Formats: sequence, structure tokens, C-alpha cells
Amino acid sequence: MTAPARPIVEARGVSRVFPMPAGPVVALRDVTMEVGEGEYVAIAGPSGCGKSTLLHVLGCVDTATSGEVRLEGRDVGSLSDSERSRIRLAKIGFVFQRFFLLPMLSAIENVELPQAEAGVPRAVRLNRARMLLDYVGLGHRADHRPSQLSGGEMQRVAIARAMANRPRLILADEPTGELDEATGEAIAGLFDLLHKDGTAVVVVTHDPSIAARAQRVLRMRDGMLLPPPQNAPQMAQVTQTGNKGRADGGRT
Amino acid sequence: MRALAFAWRSLARRRGRTMLGILGIAAAGALMFDMLLLSRGLLVSVREMLDSIGFDVRVLASEGLPQSRVPLEHALDAARALASLPEVAAAVPFRIGEAEAAVGGDRPPSIAVFAIGSTTNRIWTIVDGHDLPEGDEPSVVVNDRLAKRLHASPGDGIQVRGRCTAGPSILPPVTVRIAGVASFPFESGAQLTMATRFAVLDRLCERPPGEADLIMVASRPESGPDAAVDAIRKARPDLYAFSNDEVIERFEAVGFSYFRQISAALSIVTVSFGVVLITVLLTVGVNQRLGEIAALRAIGFSRRRVAVDVLWESILLVGIGGAVALPLGLALSMWLDAILRSLPGVPATLHFFVFEPRALWLHAALLAAVAVGAALYPMWLVARLPIAATLRREFVS
Repeated sequence: MTAPARPIVEARGVSRVFPMPAGPVVALRDVTMEVGEGEYVAIAGPSGCGKSTLLHVLGCVDTATSGEVRLEGRDVGSLSDSERSRIRLAKIGFVFQRFFLLPMLSAIENVELPQAEAGVPRAVRLNRARMLLDYVGLGHRADHRPSQLSGGEMQRVAIARAMANRPRLILADEPTGELDEATGEAIAGLFDLLHKDGTAVVVVTHDPSIAARAQRVLRMRDGMLLPPPQNAPQMAQVTQTGNKGRADGGRT
Repeated sequence: MRALAFAWRSLARRRGRTMLGILGIAAAGALMFDMLLLSRGLLVSVREMLDSIGFDVRVLASEGLPQSRVPLEHALDAARALASLPEVAAAVPFRIGEAEAAVGGDRPPSIAVFAIGSTTNRIWTIVDGHDLPEGDEPSVVVNDRLAKRLHASPGDGIQVRGRCTAGPSILPPVTVRIAGVASFPFESGAQLTMATRFAVLDRLCERPPGEADLIMVASRPESGPDAAVDAIRKARPDLYAFSNDEVIERFEAVGFSYFRQISAALSIVTVSFGVVLITVLLTVGVNQRLGEIAALRAIGFSRRRVAVDVLWESILLVGIGGAVALPLGLALSMWLDAILRSLPGVPATLHFFVFEPRALWLHAALLAAVAVGAALYPMWLVARLPIAATLRREFVS
């Protein structure tokens, strides 16, 4: 039986205005969108159109100037900073363009980090970290420092780190932006894998080949979401399989 | 990973800067530790010297500095009266004078003379020969340095002339016999010292008989110095009695307060230097990894956690530097103490830098304050870091 996916994160009339000395800059204008459980969404658009800002607002690292953001149905706009930190720790995984692995920690320690912060016992988190490094194909580089890894390997470790606390939503900001085409394809393959395993993935990207892998592409310009092209398929239908959603529909 | 381990790794990552911080704190901490030893060192040392001679109460005819004090008249009678008090074990009149040895063909050396009006309770310790004998024979005990200077030994006679005014006395020299060689508690490294009875100093300086500079009193152990002071004040309200505690309090209030002020001022300077140094190092470190910190915040680290990481970095830097500062400070204090003790007129047993456990605790408390104070600004920086804006800036840069 198929049913529309329940939204894991949704934005309703969200605007984000940055006060600047030369005057306020409107980064988001009345954005309304949602991402269903297990859905794979790409956000595309020219530089400065507000893609990353939308990702930050959805990921609770930034707050909307107006409008409402709900994560699993809960309004996150009114939460305290520590509550938002706990939500990010438990429910959201972040992947950055520049990886932001800690250089003084090994790959496995980097993956352990969010679990340690969440209070997961050492033995449990070590097992999980090893399993995740195997998952991203880096089990043999577990004890290597970031400086001993290539860009693609660092991004794999970053993806493993993002998955450490079993988040239901992965937010990736230009995850292939600093990688060559082949390595970028491999990283995109990992997002496909995450999606297939039931994790909702939102990727901000300039790369059409990465965007083409998503079920749905949201296009932005000047802080606004553009309406989908007339001949584009409708939003993918997402099936619910047990507790986990699985991508099953077409792509935009 | 715990905040402490995390901070340790962060410091190990920037070894050069970390070593700079540790060395800076070690140098500042050593100086601060020395200032703590100096702030009370002289008082502690003087207190030990006062206690070491077996008298715990001093009785004077007036208050004020020794140079301006009124002589104590009829000191022998007063001492006898005080000794009869049940709280007092012994009362010894004491007079300080100056003399010179009448040595032919040589520049006469100046001699500090201690005269006592009692046959008991000496402040010196005989190391050769005998103590001052009973009877009227003019005899002295001298320190080893004077005996050597005069090429004299116990049993020899020497001639001394009083130097009780600005110049030598016009009175003829007095021949005295050296009964023994003794060590004296308050003498400086080069001082020539002689001890004798009142009668000899009276002849040397022609002072009124029985006059003393002070009476040194030993309280009975069961009474203690405070009870002895109370009894003396009650029995002789015309005299001024002070326990060793009170003497030290007065020194602290007037005589030695400048040491405390100097050490306080220098301690403030070193603490400020430590705070500024560590604040700068931590702030530079934080500013260089704003992106990393923003990413940590984005993956769920709380404000408190990233601030605590910085605090631990500060504690580790200051803690390690402070630990290194202790042996460094002790070595420095011994060197400085030796320099100060070599000044003319400083008693050989006096120390300017004296270790007390409280100095260690104070050192630790001040360093803790440095660690916390230095971490405040960088902690505020990381806690207030705007995550999204920082990630955006990192991307743009």
C-alpha cells in the first residue's frame, strides 16, 4: 500500500533577512516547501539565490526572520539554542562542502564525535563508527588522520559522521563542490545509498548530474522557490515501508 | 570524546603555540610564586628568629623604632619584679652597644655588643670555651669571626673601647677576657659580635647603671605569651610589653608592608600578563578554526560544550605552565634570596623568600583565576558564534 510521505521537515512562508550596513538583504522570500520522510530532494539555483540559507534554516542552524519551520511536526522557531543543538545532534546529519573534519582526530574518532556528544557508550559508538566507515568504503582507513586522506575520502568520512546518530534527515551543502567529477559521482552514489536505506536527503548543489539523482529538484532564484516546469513530473510518491520510507518514485 | 581529551588534542595540534603559552605561564608563574614567597617570607623568617632564641615577650620603656626608644631605667629591678610573676619563667634585661677592638697598628674593627643583666637564659650558643662566668671579672664571649679577626681564643685578653657616640669614646680601653666563642642568632654574615654583662658595657660607654634597652621575657609554657603580656601590663602599666605575635603584627603593619605591596603589585602584573597571553593565544586559535567550531555546532555540539572545550584548553595551558613554574620559581627564589642576604647588615639566618603551604594554595588559586579569566573572551566568542553566517563566510573564503 502506498501513501504520501509524512513531512520530516517543512517550511511555511519562511523569510530570512540579513541586516547589513548597506541595507537589509533578503535571502529567503516567503518560501514554502516540505521534505517527506525518506525523500531525496535537491536544491539548485545560481550562487547567492538562498540555497544554503534555506538549508541552514531547515537544519536549525539559522532561524527564519518570519514564517514557520517544522521538524517532524514540531515548530523549531521557538526552541532555545540548546534544544536546537539537541535536535541537530539527534535528528539531523550535516555534510559540508569543506568537510570540516577535525584534523587532530582520526577518521574513526571523527565519526565517533557526534555519538560521544550524544552520550553513546564508547564500545557501542566504536562499533557504529567502524560499521559506518565500512558503509562508506573506508573501513581500512579508520585510523588515518584527515591530512592522510584524499578529498573524496574526507567527504566519505564526513558522510559517515553525519550518519553517526542515525538521523532521519541528511542536509548536504555542495558536498561535491571541492571534488573532481569522478569522486563527486562516487559521493553522489553514497547519497543514493542513504536514500535507499530510508534516510531523507536534501542536497544543495550546482551540479546538474547530482541534482538529477534526486526525486525532486527545487529551483531557487532571488530567495524564492521557482514553480516546477510545466512538463516536469509531479512530486515523487514515497512509500512507507515499516518505520522507514523508501524512495520509489520518479525524478524531477 | 570528553572535553578534556578534546582540548588536549586541540593543543597538541598546535604544538608551537602551545609551548609558547606554557613557557609564558611558566615564566610569569615563577615570578608570581616568588612574589608570594616574598610577601610573607621576611615576616615568617623574623618570626622564626624571634622564636628561636627562647623569649616570647619583649618589654620596653616606650613604643616606636629601636632608635627612638627611651631607655628602660632600673631594668635589673624591673626584670626581677617581672620574673616573680607566676606567668613568667625568666626576664633578662638586654642592652645593645657598639665598641671597637683596640688593635695596635690596625684599623680598629667595629663590634656589636650585647649586654645582659642576668646569669640565665642566653640568646647565644657557646661553640668553644665557656659562657660568661659568675663574679666581677670583665669577660666576654665573642663570635667566631671576631675571634679569628683578633687571632684570639678562649682565655686570651683583649682590649676594647666603647663607641657609644658618633666617634670613639674618650674613656680608656677596657681589658676583657674571652671566656668562650659563641654563635649569635641575629648577626649578619660579616658582623663582629661580642656579648658581656651590663657592668662591662657601663664601663665602656659610661651609661647609668642598670639601664637597658629592653627586657626579654620567657613565659611559662602553661601560661603562654599572651597571659604573660597581660600580667606584665597589669603589674607594670608604665612599661610596654609585646608578645612575638604582636611584634610581627607591628612589623607587618609598618616595617615590612612595602614587601607585601611590592609583591602584590608584581603579582598583579604577572597575573595580568598571564591572562593577556593565554587570552591572545586562545583567541588566535579560536579565530583560526571558526569554521570547524561552526561545523561542530551544526552537527549538534551545544554552546556550553564548545565553550567548555576552550576553558579546558586554558586550564591545560595554565596548569602545565603553573606546574613548570614551581621548580623554576623555587630555584629563582633561592638565587634572589642569596642576593638579598648578601646585603650588609642582614642577619645570616634571615630569609626573604620563605616557602609556606599557603603560598602553594594561593599560587594555585591565582593560576585558576588566570585560566578562567583568560578563557572568558574566547569562550564568549565560540558561544556566540553565528553558525550559519560562519559556515557561509568559510565557504566564501
